[in-house]
Amino acid sequence: MNSVRPPQSPLTAKSASSPGVPIKPVVQERFIGKYHVEVIREKCISAGSCVALAPKVFELDEEGLARVISQDGNDDEMKLLAAQSCPTAAIIVTNTETGEQVWPR
Amino acid sequence: MPTPQLFSAKLADKLTLSHKFIQLFFELVTPNYLEFTAGQYISIAVHPDGHRRAYSICSSPGKSHGFELLVEIFPNGMGSEFLNTLQFGDEITFLAPLGTFTVAPEIKDQPVTFVATGSGIAPFRSMILDQLQQQGRTLPITSYWGLRHSEDLFWQDEFQQLADEYPQFHFHPVLSQPGAEWPLCTGRVTDCLFVHELTPAAQYYLCGSSAMIEDTTRLLTERGVEKELIHREKFY
Repeated sequence: MNSVRPPQSPLTAKSASSPGVPIKPVVQERFIGKYHVEVIREKCISAGSCVALAPKVFELDEEGLARVISQDGNDDEMKLLAAQSCPTAAIIVTNTETGEQVWPR
Repeated sequence: MPTPQLFSAKLADKLTLSHKFIQLFFELVTPNYLEFTAGQYISIAVHPDGHRRAYSICSSPGKSHGFELLVEIFPNGMGSEFLNTLQFGDEITFLAPLGTFTVAPEIKDQPVTFVATGSGIAPFRSMILDQLQQQGRTLPITSYWGLRHSEDLFWQDEFQQLADEYPQFHFHPVLSQPGAEWPLCTGRVTDCLFVHELTPAAQYYLCGSSAMIEDTTRLLTERGVEKELIHREKFY
């Protein structure tokens, strides 16, 4: 199971991976994390950053809007990065173990 | 397009373009090479709690060991405040490349028209430089750029020099509240588009305020441009 680290300072961030280390999403067959993601369709503007970062979790539908296709295709760090990269904060991340909303804060 | 990855870069230079726009020059640290397509953006970590902001790269993809950003300064804006207070040598981390708002290679044989307001010009500067200097496009490139006052204008000399050097490039700055001596287009970009003859079979790229995008889309479709030829960047 991949570890989940809290977000860090932007000037010292090492989350997800360090600069230079490819963050090509890891595809795993089983449920690999505790984060549940949800797309608020009304807020989606088809920017596509979520799909670029976590293509096994998100896809753009026939209207060009993001939707969740799997909760376990990419690890928690990628799911959180995908949510944080959404320009309109259209992705909600919830910790299924605690019930806490992880993103947006 | 390349898979996004995490980069770090340090601030190398900063230009004050106007009272509300700055241009930042970054040199890549790790990795030291960024492959992107003109029009793509990066997602910068701007706050310790994980907030990110998206900024279009405004430099040419031909410059692969660094990149430039156009930043509009908003009072108390999380992204602009973070970037505007960076000191030379400070590092940022960001995800790149992101976005699909690009000139597709298959439309090389079609004219392109860019319509921007404010900082929406950023991806178009990258596209214009790329199309003229890297891709060798010879078909017409027309750029409309709306701002409010003449003192808001920047990059005008650069775009004019490009227009002088490349006759296929046409640049139309549009001011909504110009001074008395402004000789060019006045009003909104749609006012300028309304009176200009549209380039036949052109692809249209829109970036800026949502009101401009909606108004321009409506105007173009009313003038017979098919929706498939209109591309919009929505996060501005």
